[in-house]
Amino acid sequence: MSNNIVVLDNGGGLIKAGQGGERDPLVVIPNCLFKPLSSKKFIYPPPLSDLDVDIDLTSAAVRRPIDRGYLINPDLQRDIWSHLFSSLLRITPTSSSLLLTEPPLSIPSVQRATDELVFEDFGFSSLYLANPQSLVHLYEASRQPGSILSRTQCSLVVDCGFSFTHAVPVLHNFTLNYAVKRIDLGGKAFTNYLKELVSYRSINVMDQTFLMDDAKEKLCFVSLDLHRDLNLARERRTGNVLKSTYVLPDGVTHTKGYVKDPQSAKSFLTLGLSDGGANTVMDKVDVEKKKADMNKNEIDLTNERFLVPETLFQPADLGMNQAGIAECIVRAVSSCHSYLQPVLYQSIILTGGSTLFPQLKERLERELRPLVPDHFDVKITTQEDPILGVWRGGSLLASSPDFESMCVTKAEYEELGSARCRRRFFH
Amino acid sequence: MVKWRIVECRVGLARLLRRWRTDNRTQAAIARLEALENDNGAVEVVDLNDDGEASLDEDDDLGYVQKKQHKGSKRKTRQAKALEARKAHHKSFTELLQEANLESLPSHVPTYLKAAVGPPSSSSRRHFCTVCGYIAGYSCCLCGMRFCSIRCQNIHKDTRCQKFVA
Repeated sequence: MSNNIVVLDNGGGLIKAGQGGERDPLVVIPNCLFKPLSSKKFIYPPPLSDLDVDIDLTSAAVRRPIDRGYLINPDLQRDIWSHLFSSLLRITPTSSSLLLTEPPLSIPSVQRATDELVFEDFGFSSLYLANPQSLVHLYEASRQPGSILSRTQCSLVVDCGFSFTHAVPVLHNFTLNYAVKRIDLGGKAFTNYLKELVSYRSINVMDQTFLMDDAKEKLCFVSLDLHRDLNLARERRTGNVLKSTYVLPDGVTHTKGYVKDPQSAKSFLTLGLSDGGANTVMDKVDVEKKKADMNKNEIDLTNERFLVPETLFQPADLGMNQAGIAECIVRAVSSCHSYLQPVLYQSIILTGGSTLFPQLKERLERELRPLVPDHFDVKITTQEDPILGVWRGGSLLASSPDFESMCVTKAEYEELGSARCRRRFFH
Repeated sequence: MVKWRIVECRVGLARLLRRWRTDNRTQAAIARLEALENDNGAVEVVDLNDDGEASLDEDDDLGYVQKKQHKGSKRKTRQAKALEARKAHHKSFTELLQEANLESLPSHVPTYLKAAVGPPSSSSRRHFCTVCGYIAGYSCCLCGMRFCSIRCQNIHKDTRCQKFVA
């Protein structure tokens, strides 16, 4: 392989980019341009690994090229990519191949815009388009060589990303497009719902996207028994196990928000599945710490912590007329051939950033088991890193020997056009 | 006869008010769902001039070369206008979806619309109190928001009732 392969997982929330063949992506940046209060123009966000950059992210306005999962603003994406390629990755597009991810069932105008962006604006020498779910399947199959997943080459990938959630059956590294089912809830909807709840009940945080993202990632969890947790969250005394305080930044002492007491934020884990075993004993010392500090802006989160991820299981809570994730899986599997169904139920893979909520896997097992016929086994596996999982699958694919022959070269694109080239990927 | 007409009028008015109220409520519900897909919290002020357009500044400084500048700036503003129109007018996803006309494809072709998971199997939904978040049993007769207890109802009446209703 004379030229290098750039693996680019173009997600709605984060872009993961790096060289093919590596274990981890070189750079992970948010896929947006943002305008903090300190600047008048939109600037590029710093990479996630750059922790010592201390920008004030309060009230930062955001512009995203990807809306509802699909690339609708190619100019903005070109801007972000050119910054990515020149300053962060330091590659020249004309001498590289690109492995790009795209959500399943894209519309033709979006596909054409993407192809134009890759070949005409940047001039990559060749392109391979993949669905993120087939890359995840490839990665998991290689990690567990003896399992049912890799022996049958078939799995059901549940991808809870930033824009939406898909349940995709994958067979022999091809996504079965006719059986894909989609819920329009993702990380963005969760953050917006959390913003709405907090603004309604305490401080108006409707323009603090990054702050609420942070609060959601640190504090939200999935409840295993909703009514018990709602009763617990109602208690006003210090025995409230589920209450957690998030301190907003004040720009002077600290520019990033933080959780006031990280230890007690984890106390929901002691609740478990049994009722009445709640650990409500609190030390006297802790009571001193929990007095509200009037100098800082703080928000108290009790039932918002688990009501936000609860919408994934029942979108009707928000008023959306869509089924929850358990039914979505059942419908996706039922649309496949009956021989595939038992295999699919036994190899469910959870991927995507929104699966990082604690206790999601246990809750999903509980919800799914009654809906699946008794003689089928249900087994759910989580990835060790759901955000990087797709990129690692792409890196694995890029390092396979016949990758070059699977790509579409620039010459072929110019001769045949976007639609004919796409047929090669069975999209 | 007059009494009859007055009663009729009142009944008609009540029906009209009920329809107006439920229309507003459904509109508010739809607006709330749309707001979940927003990138920014508030309505964004689109600043068309933040792409480094220089023509406005040049007009101020050089007054004596105004004729040439005027012609130049006219041409520039027309071109710049076309550029702006191309940059600023990005079709939203719903517009692109409608243009794609996915219903006209044959039924065996999987599309974005067919992949939607569809309505839930049970139409019963849980309601949560808008003030505290507990399971709600009651709803406000004026605006339809839910609450769980008298304490929450008082808070709702004092601060939030009729917030979304114009």
